[in-house]
This record gives sequence, structure tokens and C-alpha cells, in this order.
Amino acid sequence: MAPNPRKRKAVTRDVPAASDWDEELADGLLDGILSHSEGESDADSEEEDAESDTSSVIEGLSDEDEEDDENGAFSDTDPDEGEQGIREQMRKLNTRDVSARLNGVDHALDLDSRPQAEGELDDQTDEDLKPNYTITTDANGNTRYLYKEIDPVYDSDDSDAPETTNTIGNIPLTYYDEYPHIGYDINGRKIMRPAKGEALDALLDQIDIPKGWTGLTDPATGKPLNLSEEELDVLKRLTRNEVVEDGYDPYPEMVHYFSGKKEIMPLSAAPEPKRRFVPSKHEAKRVMKIVKAIREGRIQPYKPPSEEEAEEERVYYDVWADEKPRPENSMHLAAPKLPPPGYDASYHPPSEYLPDKNEEAAWLAADEEDREKDYLPKNYEALRKVPGYERFVKERFERSLDLYLAPRVRRNKLNIDPESLLPKLPNPEDLKPFPTTCAAIFRGQEGRVRSVSFDPHGIFVASGGDDGYVRIWELLTGRQVWNVKLSDEDAVDAVKWRPTKDASILAAAAGESVYMIVPYSILSPDVEQASRDILDAGWGYAASKPSTTSIGVTNEPPGKWARPGSKFESKGVLVQATVRSMVKIINWHRKGDYFATVSPRGQSSAVAIHTLSKHLTQLPFRRLKGIAQTAQFHPSKAIFFVATRNTIRSYDLAKQELVKILQPGAKWISSIDVHPGGDNIIVGTYDKRLLWHDLDLSTKPYKTLRFHQEAIRAVRFHQGGLPLFADASDDGSLQIFHGKVVGDLMENATIVPLKVLKGHKVKSRLGVMDVDWHPREPWCVSAGADGTCRLWS
Amino acid sequence: MGKIQKKGQAGAAKNYITRTRAVKKLQISLPDFRRLCIFKGIYPREPRKKKKVSRGSTAATTFYYTKDIQYLLHEPLLAKFREHKAVAKKIAKALGRGEAGDAARLEKNLVPKIKLDHIIKERYPTFTDALRDLDDALSMLFLFANLPSSEHVPAKTIALCQKLCHEFEHYVITSHSLRKTFLSIKGIYYQATIQGQDVMWLVPYRFVQRTGGDIDFRIMGTFVEFYTTLLGFANYRLYTSIGLVYPPRFNADLDAQGAELSAFQIEGKGVAVNGDDAHGDVSETVNPEAQAVADRIAAAPVTEEEQPEDAQAVPAGEDENTDTIDKFEAVAPDADVLPQPQASSAEVAALFAPYTFYLARETPRAPLEFLLKAFGCKRVGWDSTLGDGAFTSNESDPSITHQIVDRTAIATEDASETPDGAAPKVQWPRSTMPGRTYVQPQWVWDCINQSKLLRPDLYAPGAELPPHLSPWVKPKKGEYDPNLPLQAQELEGEREAFEDAEDVASEAEAEETDDEDEDDEDDVMESDASVEAGEGMQVDGSEDEEEDGDEPQKPAEEFDGFDSDAESDVSDGEAARLQHQRELEAEATGKTLEPEVVTTKSKNAVVRKKAEKKRKEEQDERDRQKMMLSNKKRKLLKRIEYGSNKRDVEAENLRRKKRKLEKAKAAAEAV
Repeated sequence: MAPNPRKRKAVTRDVPAASDWDEELADGLLDGILSHSEGESDADSEEEDAESDTSSVIEGLSDEDEEDDENGAFSDTDPDEGEQGIREQMRKLNTRDVSARLNGVDHALDLDSRPQAEGELDDQTDEDLKPNYTITTDANGNTRYLYKEIDPVYDSDDSDAPETTNTIGNIPLTYYDEYPHIGYDINGRKIMRPAKGEALDALLDQIDIPKGWTGLTDPATGKPLNLSEEELDVLKRLTRNEVVEDGYDPYPEMVHYFSGKKEIMPLSAAPEPKRRFVPSKHEAKRVMKIVKAIREGRIQPYKPPSEEEAEEERVYYDVWADEKPRPENSMHLAAPKLPPPGYDASYHPPSEYLPDKNEEAAWLAADEEDREKDYLPKNYEALRKVPGYERFVKERFERSLDLYLAPRVRRNKLNIDPESLLPKLPNPEDLKPFPTTCAAIFRGQEGRVRSVSFDPHGIFVASGGDDGYVRIWELLTGRQVWNVKLSDEDAVDAVKWRPTKDASILAAAAGESVYMIVPYSILSPDVEQASRDILDAGWGYAASKPSTTSIGVTNEPPGKWARPGSKFESKGVLVQATVRSMVKIINWHRKGDYFATVSPRGQSSAVAIHTLSKHLTQLPFRRLKGIAQTAQFHPSKAIFFVATRNTIRSYDLAKQELVKILQPGAKWISSIDVHPGGDNIIVGTYDKRLLWHDLDLSTKPYKTLRFHQEAIRAVRFHQGGLPLFADASDDGSLQIFHGKVVGDLMENATIVPLKVLKGHKVKSRLGVMDVDWHPREPWCVSAGADGTCRLWS
Repeated sequence: MGKIQKKGQAGAAKNYITRTRAVKKLQISLPDFRRLCIFKGIYPREPRKKKKVSRGSTAATTFYYTKDIQYLLHEPLLAKFREHKAVAKKIAKALGRGEAGDAARLEKNLVPKIKLDHIIKERYPTFTDALRDLDDALSMLFLFANLPSSEHVPAKTIALCQKLCHEFEHYVITSHSLRKTFLSIKGIYYQATIQGQDVMWLVPYRFVQRTGGDIDFRIMGTFVEFYTTLLGFANYRLYTSIGLVYPPRFNADLDAQGAELSAFQIEGKGVAVNGDDAHGDVSETVNPEAQAVADRIAAAPVTEEEQPEDAQAVPAGEDENTDTIDKFEAVAPDADVLPQPQASSAEVAALFAPYTFYLARETPRAPLEFLLKAFGCKRVGWDSTLGDGAFTSNESDPSITHQIVDRTAIATEDASETPDGAAPKVQWPRSTMPGRTYVQPQWVWDCINQSKLLRPDLYAPGAELPPHLSPWVKPKKGEYDPNLPLQAQELEGEREAFEDAEDVASEAEAEETDDEDEDDEDDVMESDASVEAGEGMQVDGSEDEEEDGDEPQKPAEEFDGFDSDAESDVSDGEAARLQHQRELEAEATGKTLEPEVVTTKSKNAVVRKKAEKKRKEEQDERDRQKMMLSNKKRKLLKRIEYGSNKRDVEAENLRRKKRKLEKAKAAAEAV
């Protein structure tokens, strides 16, 4: 290994220092030390060596002092006697330690194997004998020692203690020359001197030298030393100052990145900063800070905290020392408290709270979320038998989930007495009378009965139906007293008695014609005469003023008034008025001079107003919006109501203008009726609704009643002063209501459902076709699709 | 023209914020947000107009009030959470490097400590507010005090919960504020009235709690963290309000021996510990054994006098001081009830004051000790196996007046008969002490709820206990009340209907066991209609058959039922007319019509029919009225009636069961 130049420098520098330290030692002694080794550790042992002889032969190779003497003597005295030298040395080798022995062996081997190399050896030894320094004069003229390089071979510094096998101590072996032994081993036994001299020589001559024989004796044991091939190789390398290991490169190429050499292209061109040389002020400042803190006691030496301190103590104090109530925040919803347990949660509840088998099974079968209660009531006879509740933790957990996870909402709790919601109805006894039972059934019609009507005296009921007959029944007996067949092909769609009591005229509509009937032979003669007079008055008018109609209406007149023929006249059918299309509805004015007919298919001539006294037909509307369903006169004013499919219009006949449009919100109005007071209208619709309109309130219905399963066909107020109205529906039932209208404007009408009258059978989805009230009594008569009329009382 | 309003810029849309957005706004993790919400008492809301808030999306979302979240933004805890997150990262890093020591040091020194004091003050501006919210806190802490420690629940937390709970119990004992208590199947409910606030809490029975399933102890732990702080401050306030020092002195040694309540020593604020007044039982400085001996000596001559005193104690409730509020009992049943204050603390303090109790080892000591002490008893002893801190653990101590036992009685011999009269050794159940009252634990609870001493013989060991009723239920009109006799509660005709149903049911059971109740009732109606129709003879016959219980006759009887079925829709008037017709016929033929035999059954039927008719009429009237309601009101009425109907059905069900039981009992007695 190449010595580092810097290291070398250090060594040379060390020398004077070493001499400074050990002043008691002489210069020469020191020289010797330094010449042998670099370390001071060997100094003591080598004192003698340096002292004894600097010219010893194998000085560089051995450390043993006496041996040096011997060797030195050898080499000086008889260098040419090689054989002799070897033997001599072999003899001396006994006392050497292992390392020394190796050196010795090495030397001996060299001598032995190559006697011709004697001269070289001498050269070498000469070189070794030279002092390892040169003396020069320094600048001051003092002597200066310049030491040679020290060769740091393995053995240059050997401090291993020799293993003593011969215990004779530090005395020359020559003392034992006259004894057969050469010393004592560690156990005190004699170590016998190995054989030598002539006997040995003779033996040597005889014996072939075996492989690996060195001819050396192990100095420790005195036995011949055999070396293997490898060992010999090692020895050879050692003698050549080569590295013992095979293939080892002792000098790999080294890159000197950081060296004292100044590069032309250095890694960093930055000049060495000043801070490398100047002590840091900042650091000093910080240090002083810490020093100050320590002096003042602010920094305490670290002490690990004890266990009690580590567990922080919770300190409680009066948080509410200065409590101030916070004003209630409307957005804050406090969590509801859990309800207290009921009787059934008891560990020993009354036995009626225990579930029976069915309840228990139902509870167990139900999903956990569907259960009304999260526990099953159970009975334990004694407290000691009560087990732990296994859902306890779970319930508490669910409660805590509810507290932070459940959305909160404020709900108004219904704290209303249900009784207060229900309207205060009049006592049912006060509402009486109203029809409750079927008092009579008028049978005898074929096909549906389409229309019924009470005569103004309340004695007769007229009915008209699909068979084309108009029949008159006596109310009290239920007997048919009169009939006429008006038409063969057309049904009688409407029958209506004239509302005045002075005469008795029935209007019936079949097809396009309206017939005025004074039923023959059932009326008293004077009434019959009065009726005939009323009907006949028009003939004269029509005859005297034939032109008015023809002039007023350029084309064909809207109605033709004629005598129906003798066959009809004999029955009492006296006048026939024909309009342009099928008449469905007839409604009289209260005075009995006018009547309105409605023929829904008639378009512009759908609504016609007829004047009985003049036998005149007028069409009040040139064009009508929508299909007219029904029309009616106001009971006291000159107002005319026309209902189309979904609106009701009221017209002032005197001023000839539109008064009001009512919008019942129905899809298809079937019929309307005006309250005798004139301020309220009931509307029946095909979409199952019965609507009550208060004309004073709004155009929207005041009440909407939906009690029927099917379409409502007819609605009718009681005209004789009783607060009743009825509707007839396709579900085969009539409903009777109490509808009281008070004169006070502030009070709304009270409507009370009274009775559902069932009796008519539903035929081909048609039930009750028409209804009419008795003029005075709380009786009503209904026309059914089953071919019967029923009187309800 | 006003500024055009954009949709979703104001109003409900701005007032509410979804949870995701809230978490994003606060920049914390969801678990941290959860913790924060629990601490701060922030809860989600249900917006009134959900569609507007969720901007048309129909997905189920949780909404928070925006102002709540804004208010959370300024919360100091938020900073702590962030600090904690930073430290957690460091610790994770250290652990990742395998530097466990470093991690431990970081955890020890750097993890921020969370204090909730300011939150307590913020959430409960007044102490009353805190008391109002104490229900959940107490229930939770009492649960945790009874839980075993686990990895989720550290032992330290449990110890803290136990400490706080015991301290609270001590306050309740000292202030005599406990009012009601109830043994339910879930646990023991207590209710105390503290400063005018009713605080109710539930304590589990001492068994190992089932903690499996999907219970998240982190959430519970967060609640416990908050509740411990709350209860600590509340305890401080409560203690100082009655002049006690908080925290009370805690004797860890006694606690280790299971002294529980007695491990705490309550001290007054003044110099002296006024031992004998309110908390003499607690100052355990006196050696209990010496005390017991002294007491025995003191009590020895008193034992004879104890008996009459005991007898007096029951009527003592009547001649109380005149300054107490008298109880007003309504004379007529329809009078309004005016609320009166419940038992005052003085009464509470006096309930068990003169007695000495001894708890047998099978009784639950902790609740009994707490209750007895809370109701004035100062001397509670128990078996030494139940833990330390007893007044006496000697069962034969003569000063004991009541012994609470929960075992069936076996043949006993009187202790007085033992020869050594000096110190008779009594040991339940082998021997009893003369003059000592032996009761089951329920006696204590029932006495407390009725705030008077009840007859102990009803609660004697081994006796069948009277039912234990919840003190919180106030029976409303129409609800079933187990305290009242059945006759006072049932509707008209109900009993008769029941009896008939029972008859038929038993009959049907004989036939086929699994017949439904409703069917039975139908049957009843049919057969009863036949009675009405005047077939008295046949019904009589059939009844005889029923009584005979002959099975072959059954088909014939059923045929009867079928016959009457046809006539069942004939109205009462019709029946009367038929009866009249029959009478006329009888008159014409000259026979005498057998008068209808009035059996209990027919009588029942008449009563029931009448009641039914009346009810039907009422129902009709009601339906008529309902027809007149507007749609809105009708729906409202329907909702109201739903509740009341449910209540009625429930009450009827209970009455039915009760009647059945009564009948079974009567039958058993007859046998």
C-alpha cells in the first residue's frame, strides 16, 4: 500500500515531538526506536535492541534481541559456511516465538534453497544495516535527521506476545549446553534436546527427503517442520515482499476528487466563503440567549413527568357563574326527550298487558323496523329473575344516532277536538219532514220513463217515456187516469205542467214537437174550460197577426203552431208547436205565459221561448256558445238562465244583455234548478257532482257535493216553501238534501244531506231519469229507467 | 322595475346546505365533522320546501342549516382538529419508519388536548338548560359506568363515568330530589326533580351488555366525552348549590373493595362535616363494625318499641303537618283535574328515615342502596359479599327493621327460640328475626312511587307480587287503566258481547280449535238474531245441548244458525210484528203462547243489541256530519280519528284480555 504523502508528512513531523515527550531517553535510543517501528508502543521492548547493535544482520526481519546478537555474530563471523549457519540457526530456533520463527524459517529457507544467492543476501543485509536516516544540517546549522520511509509491512509492528513453550525465562540457551535438555515446558517437564550432530547427519544421508520437508525443526516442539505447497508459496511471496493473497490489487486506481491540488476546472468556482473562517454571530446570539435563560432559571433541566402528572386532571368550575338566558331562537329545535316507559314495560306488568300467542308471533314475525314497540312485554315473578336487556347498548346507540343524525323538523301537533271540526248540524228532528220511504210505485210504462211532473194542485203526476205515451197518474191511489200516445217513433222527452193553478195545462215534448195538453175528463169542467180558453186565445192572435212572424223572420219561422188533429184533440191534446230540432227540455215561466224549450242539437235554434197567449216562438240567441243543455226562467225577475255544457249564463230579458257567467267547473252539466228565492242555483252534472251556486258570492260553486257513484241526471228544488232539494242519479238512487237559504246576506246557505232513497233499478247503466217535488208536501216523485215511477214520502 | 330574482339565490335554497357541501366548506374529514356536530349539537334539518332546497333533485340528502355551518367555521375546536391531523401524519410517518419511540413521544407531547368547557357554556347558556338536557347524558354515562373496558372503551373512561355517576347519585341522595322510579324490563328508570326540571335516566341491570352488531363505539365515545364534561360541570354546580365541596373526597381503597357510593366522602363547604344531618351515612370515618356494635347496644332495648312505631308509621301519613298541601280528590268523575305539586323533598326525606334496612345477598345492592338513601334511610346494611361500605354486614343485627330478600321462603323457625338469647343468630331463610319485616325488593319501588309505606305482607318473600306499574302513565279518557275495576271502564254492552263471544268461542273451540275471533262474533250475531226472531224454544233446546256438550247434535245446531241467517236482516220492527202475529195466531187457536224464557243469554243479547243500536245511531249521525266537511277538514278529522281509534282498539283489547283472565280466575276459584 502506497503511503499517503500527507501521512508521511505527519510522521516526519511527529518525530521531534516524540523526542520532546521522552526527555529521559537518549537520542541514540530514540533513533533506534524509530528505526525499528513507527509506534511508541514497542519503544520499551526495543530499547535494548537499539542499544546493542545497529549493524545486526537481520535487523529488519527480527525483533528478538538475543537472537539478533547471535545472528549478527553468525553473519559476521562465518558468512560462507551456509550449511553450518543453517544448523546453527536450527539449534537456536527453539527459543523463538512463532512470528520470529516464520522470519527465521524464511531466512533459513532462502539460504537453504539458494546457496548461490548468498551474495545478494549480503547486499540486502548491508542495505538493512545502514541507518534509516541521514544527517544533514538545517538552516540554523544544527543537525537534522532526515528519516527514510518506513516500510509498513505486516511484521513491522508486531506486538503479539510470544507464546512461551520453554519456560526457562530470559536467559541464553547456552546455559543448558551441558544438559541433555534445553529447558522446561509449562508443566515443569524437561524439554529434551533434539538429536543433532553426526547421528543426524548419517540419518540424513540415508533418508530420502520427503515432500514438503523443510529440514527445519519446529522450535516450540523440536519436531521436524513440514510445510505444504501453499505454505511454501506464501513464504516465497513473503520473501519477495509480495501480497500474500492471490490476485489482489493493492493499488487500485484512485480518483482524487478533493485534493489540495488546485484544478483548472474546479467543481465549484465559488471562492471560499467568509463564514468558514469567521465565528457565527447568530449562533453566538442564540447561545447567549439560552445561557441567559438558564441563568434566569427559565430553562429547567429536563425531568421526565411522573405518572400522576401525565394523567391530566379535569378541572371543574362553575361555568354558569354569570349565566344569561339566551333569547329563544325560532330555528333551534331541541331534541325531544324519550317518552317514559308505560305499564307494559314493567318487569311485572298486569297480566292483561302480556301479549297472547298470536300477538307474540306477529311481533316476532314483523320486521324490526315495522314493530310498533321494540320490546315484547314479559312477566317475571321476582326481581332476581329479570335478565339483562340485550338491546340496551343498541338502543342507546340508536338514540345517539338520532341526536346527531336525524333531521329535525317542527311539526304542529294536532290538538284539536274532533268534535269542534264537525259542523253544528241542526237536529235531524228539526229537519223533518223529508221523504224517507217509497209510498207508491207507478207501474205500467214500457221502456224508460224520461220525465215526470206534478200538477200545480198536487193531485196528478204526469210522466213521459220511451214508449211515446204521456200518462197521468192520480197521486193518492197510484192509478193511471189518462194517457195518450204522442208519437210512434219518438220518445216523450219532457213533460211539464203549467205552474199556475187557475188552469191545468201539460206541456209534453216528443221529437220536434211540443204538445199542449188539457187532459180530457179528469179535470173539473170549469178548470178544463179555463185551460182550453188559454190555449185557444193564441189562435186568434196568430190569425190576426200572421205577418209579424213572417216579416220579422224572413225565412221559415222558428216554430209552427198547429192543431194536432182530431184524434189527439179528442184526448185533450190541443196545440202542437213544432220547432226545428228535437226538444229535450221544457221549462215554464212562473206566470205560465211563456215557456222555454231546449233542443241541444238545434245549434242556433237550440233555445226557444214560446209565448202561449200569442202562439209565438222566438229564438233569443242568434248564436250560442257551446251546446245548450237546459234553460230556465228566474222565479221572480226577468232573467233567463241558459246552461251549456260547462257554463251557465244568465241574461236579463228586459235589457237583453248578459248578466253573469257561472263556471261550475263541471265537464258536462246535465240539469240546473233555480232556488225559489232566485239567488241560488243547483247544478247537476254528468261527472257525478252536485254543485250549489250562490249567485251573490262568486261565479264558482259555493259547495261541491260528490256523493253519487254515477252521473247526476236531474236536480230539483222544492218549490212549495220547504227547504229541500233532490237529485237523481244513474246509480239508481235519489239524494235528498236540506238546503236552507236565509234572507240574511251575511249567512251562507246551510246544506245538510238528509236521505238516500234507493229503489229504482239500474237498467243499461241508467238509473233515475228525473225527479219532481210535490208543490206543497215533502213528497217527490222520480222516474226510473226501469219503467216505473216512484213516489217518495 | 325590481331586480330580477334568480332561482336558487335566496330563501330556502340558501338557508340549507347539504352535508357534503358543509364538510367541504369546513375543510375537515367526515368523522371530524361528525365529532364536531356532536360536540356542538348541530343537527340536520328537514326543510319545509325540500324541492326548492334540493333544486329539483329527488335524491335523499341531509340538509344542515347554513347558519349553523357558518357558525362552526369559527369554532376553536376546528383548529385543534387540524392540529391533530398534522400530528397524526407525523406519527404515521414515524411508525412507517419503525420509530416507535418517536411515535410515542409525539403522541404524548404533541397531540392536542381537546377541552369542551366553552362548548358547555355555549350550548347551555343557563344551568336550567343544561339540566333539561341531562336525560341522555345520565343514561349514557350510567351505561358506560356499567360496561367492561375494551379496546373501544378505555378503562379510564369507565372509571370517570363511574365517578361522575356516583357523584351525581350523592347529590340526589343529599338533596332528596328523587321522585319516581320504575323497574322495567330494560333497566331501572329514575326520575329526579332538580331545580324544577324533571330529569329521567335509565340504568341497566348489572349484566354483561351485548355490544356486538353494528354499534359504533367511536360515536358513543364522542358523546361520552361531551357528556362527561357536561355532567362534571353540572355536578360542580349542584354540589356548590347545596353548599358541598366538589369534588368529594374519593377513597380509592374503599372503592377497590366495592364500596361504590360509600367510597365518596361528602364534605360541606364550612369547616365541619355536618355528619349526622344529610350525609352521615357517607362519612365512613367511623369503623363500621364498631358502629354496628354501638348501634346494637343502643338498639337492643328499642326492639320491642320498634313494633308499635312501625305500626304507626303507616297512618302517620294522614296526620302530617298542617302546612303541607292537601290532596284534593274529585268527588264526581267528570270533574276537571287540577294539577298539584308532587311530593316535597321533606316528605321524600322522611319515607324510610326511621328504619334500618338489610339487603340480602341476592338483591341488587346498588339501586336499593341509592333508593333507600335517597328516601331518607340512613342505615343500610348488606351482606359482605355485596361489597364494602355497609352500615352493618351482620344479618342478626337487632337494629335492622326491614330485610329485603328475593328468595322463595322455606320452612322457618323463629330465631328467638334459639337457646342463646344474648345474640340470636338469624339467617334468612333458615330463621327469621321476630319483629323484622321481610319484603321483596319491589316493595321499595312501589312505596317510593306511591310515596307512602305499603302493606309489607303483600310483598312478603315468596308471595305473588302485585303488578308493578309505571308511575308516569296518566290514563286519559278512553284509555285502559289497570288501577280501576273493569266495570268502571267498559262500554255499554261490551261485557255481554264478550260473554256471548266467549260462549261461542268455547263451543267453536270444541269443534275446531283454530277458529278466528271475528268469525265467532259473526256467528254470535246470527244465532242471536234467531233469538230475536222469537224462536225461543229452539234456542233453549240448543242451549241445553250446548250445556250437554253433545257433539252429534252440532250439525243440527248449525242448521239452526243457517236458518236464522236468512232472517237475520229482518229488522226489529219485523221481529216485533212476527211476535205479535204469533200471539194473534195463538189467540185464534186458543193455545197459550209460551212466554219467552229469559235466559242470561237472551238478556245479554238484548242489552248488547240496544248498545249496538245506539252506537250505530251515533255512528250514522257522525257520518252525516262528516259528509258536510270540506275535503281538507275531512282529512284532518281522519288523522285525528286514526289516533283515537287506535287508542280505543288498544283499550278494548286490554279489557278483553282482562275479562278473560278474570273469568279464568273465577272458574279456577269455583273449582
